[in-house]
Amino acid sequence: MSESAQPQPPAASQRSRLRLYALVALLLAVLVGSGWLHQRRIAARLLETEPSEILHNPQLISDAAAIARPQYQRHCAGCHGEALQGDPKRGVPDLARNVWLYGNDPVDVERTILYGIRSGHPKARNLTDMPALVRMGQITTDDAHDAVEYLQSLAGHAHDEPAAQRGRAIYFNKGNCYDCHANDARGVTDYGTPALTGPVYVYGGDRDTLYQTILNGRHGICPAWVNQLTPVQIRALAIYLVTTPRAVAVARN
Amino acid sequence: MAETPEFFDIRNTSVRRSMVLLASGALIGLAIAGYGLFTAKGTRSRGVPPEAIALVNQRQILRSDFMTQAQTQYTVPFAQTSAEQRQKVLQDMINEELMMQRGLEIDLPSYDPDVRNALVAGVELEVTADVLAQQPTQEEMRSYYEAHKDKYSSEGVMQLRDLLVRPESAHPAVAHATASAAVAALRKGQPLAAVIQKFKLVDSGRFMDAGHVDTGDIFQFAVRAKADDAIYNATLPLKDGEVSEPLEESDGVHLIVMIKHRFPVAQNFEEASNRVWTDLKNEAQARVNAANIAYLRSRADIIVAPELAQ
Repeated sequence: MSESAQPQPPAASQRSRLRLYALVALLLAVLVGSGWLHQRRIAARLLETEPSEILHNPQLISDAAAIARPQYQRHCAGCHGEALQGDPKRGVPDLARNVWLYGNDPVDVERTILYGIRSGHPKARNLTDMPALVRMGQITTDDAHDAVEYLQSLAGHAHDEPAAQRGRAIYFNKGNCYDCHANDARGVTDYGTPALTGPVYVYGGDRDTLYQTILNGRHGICPAWVNQLTPVQIRALAIYLVTTPRAVAVARN
Repeated sequence: MAETPEFFDIRNTSVRRSMVLLASGALIGLAIAGYGLFTAKGTRSRGVPPEAIALVNQRQILRSDFMTQAQTQYTVPFAQTSAEQRQKVLQDMINEELMMQRGLEIDLPSYDPDVRNALVAGVELEVTADVLAQQPTQEEMRSYYEAHKDKYSSEGVMQLRDLLVRPESAHPAVAHATASAAVAALRKGQPLAAVIQKFKLVDSGRFMDAGHVDTGDIFQFAVRAKADDAIYNATLPLKDGEVSEPLEESDGVHLIVMIKHRFPVAQNFEEASNRVWTDLKNEAQARVNAANIAYLRSRADIIVAPELAQ
């Protein structure tokens, strides 16, 4: 029996097993480390690239979507719906149909996600809300019904023309509606006021809902995510929210 | 003195070497700590994290805040702002951050009433945000109205005289008898001016308007504010031309002559709904504020001076 065929002493076999474990551990560490570094690099690129430039970079859009999708489903879908369709009952705008109260520039969207709308955060969007025009005594219930007819006329729906004419006067005078919703009733993103010309409404465009809005006012909210999501998750969500409806619209066209 | 060969011989233990290395380590540690302490920089990042546009004393200025600020200041999308504009915005934000940090350093909130008020208002707004956001439903409003119906009525209006027999002008029993006689005379229909003159009544001075006795309309809430409970309660049932029973008070015996009384009219739900809505909101806000104060007190260490300790 040759010397090489002799069984190795136990200490030597243990040493070679240890060496193997160390090698595997090292490989794993390298893999995990390079994965982490890759994620960090993506995060840095997403954060350091100007949002407007990201919109022209398919790779970054795809990276943003990969980060944002699970966050959206976890944190946003509860109100905004799985397909960004919103919820008129709660006044959640239909992002899939491009209803953006505060504009759809990614910088604006990012700010909304960061600090929310009337969230209580001092930097939240909270310049104004829809006042309860009837309850506060600004206009009467009859005025409100006339204003509803005017809004129906703006949307091209069947309406009572004399009432709509009176409603127009309410819109531009007593109700001061034009001040926030603009002369053409297309809304003002600075205030977060929605377009009143249809076909998509935040709370619904039927007569009763419009009347309730004028009667009781609206005070929609969006939470501030600044302390719950990381900066890169928020940036990624902004890019995802802005690009997804655009992609849907392009696909539709 | 030259070191012994054992000092550099790392294969052998050397007490002297151990002591020298220990002392060197301690000195280096102290030097680093002293540098950090006296330059007031502490530990610091060498670079700016990707989510920040700058670090000011290790506090981040977020890129998103910077972009929003630039957009707001120049009213154009961020992509259209120039390099100079961005630089200006950044420097302004750095200055603001420095001033804010200095404010905290000198403990501005502890003595500046404006800063304190802003902090209090900010915290209140933050804790009541949810309440402000919620709109009461019609059902909630109606049940609140039903539970507080007596609150919802139009304001009553009175024209009255609060006349007085002063005790110094007579013995208390005599003053009471005088007041009773005056009441009887008024109830018989004798003119007010004649009764005042005959019984030497004086005005109590509680219902004044610009230095004169208010003989015009007075809202019921104003009567409540100006009179004490006994006088106010005595006015409530009096109809036009009626006179109250004599009321003994510390300043004399009063009698209330109600010249004209427009009673409050209860409002139905539709008429009162605006007030119901406001009251519901205010109550909810007050509840949340009270709960917040209770929570803050529960975790605070408050020591009160003995004379006011409860």
